Amino acid sequence: MSITVGQAVPPLERTIRLTDMVAYAGATWDWHRLHYDPEYVAEKKLPGPIVDGQVFGALLVEQLQDWLGPKSFVHRLDFTFRNLVFAGETVRCEGTVTEAGYERIVCDLRVVVVGSAARTAVAPASATVLLGRADGPGAEAAR
Amino acid sequence: MSLLTDEVRALAGRTRVYTAPEPFGAAAGRYFGLAIGDDNPLYSDAEYARAQGLPGVTLPLTLVCETNQYAGLPMDHEGYPGHTWGLDIPGTRQVRGGNSYVFHRRIRPEDVVTATWRIEGVTEKVTGSGHAMLIVMSKASYTNQDGELLAENEESLIFVALEKSS
Repeated sequence: MSITVGQAVPPLERTIRLTDMVAYAGATWDWHRLHYDPEYVAEKKLPGPIVDGQVFGALLVEQLQDWLGPKSFVHRLDFTFRNLVFAGETVRCEGTVTEAGYERIVCDLRVVVVGSAARTAVAPASATVLLGRADGPGAEAAR
Repeated sequence: MSLLTDEVRALAGRTRVYTAPEPFGAAAGRYFGLAIGDDNPLYSDAEYARAQGLPGVTLPLTLVCETNQYAGLPMDHEGYPGHTWGLDIPGTRQVRGGNSYVFHRRIRPEDVVTATWRIEGVTEKVTGSGHAMLIVMSKASYTNQDGELLAENEESLIFVALEKSS
């Protein structure tokens, strides 16, 4: 695969339903009521259960891994939260390649909410991905 | 009035260590993939994973930074069973700033994770709207039972004053 600076990372779009959020709460051992309890969030004067922000890191890795395939390894991922996302909203992970080498690339990334309440959920964000390898440098040290 | 009191300054260097009572387990990774809608066979198909040069299935990269599985803590009154610093800064609201992850290798089902959390520093700034805010920078280092460094997670917590600075 030839990758060039300025190339767009194929977007990943996902609607995050309350059911997904309950599954995520279980998978991460985080049952904070903010993420699924309508009564609790109403007390906090929020419009709905809040999507756990760290899921966006997982989606950004999924986006890169799906694009670059199994012989790639996300070595670094940085992301900053901008706005809350609520149950039922659809997010789109977007990105652009800013550095392209034989063994690694760097991408600028962001997560936006699409639809009538469009806004930025995560930005800035960036990732460094190692190419031509399925695992990280620590795997070699462990051998 | 400054939020950066001597008591808050003294938070720097505070450390907490948690060791999981059992290996991570392949099911944890498969469950996480299902929950976020990531059907990458690296997390569920050992034969496929081995064909890529891996020893077997691995767990989704970010899971170790997102899970409370290792902590072994009871749920608090809001249902949270994970690491916190228990910070209560009167007259502020808490928001999350962001995370910086460094992954050193993929997590394997047999890894028994130790998470070492440390407060790296506390700084004070003023928002564009004139509210003081404290930024608490923490770092978690995740190692396994053989002392291998698996991943690192820098996290910023922000405490924004409810009233404007005078």
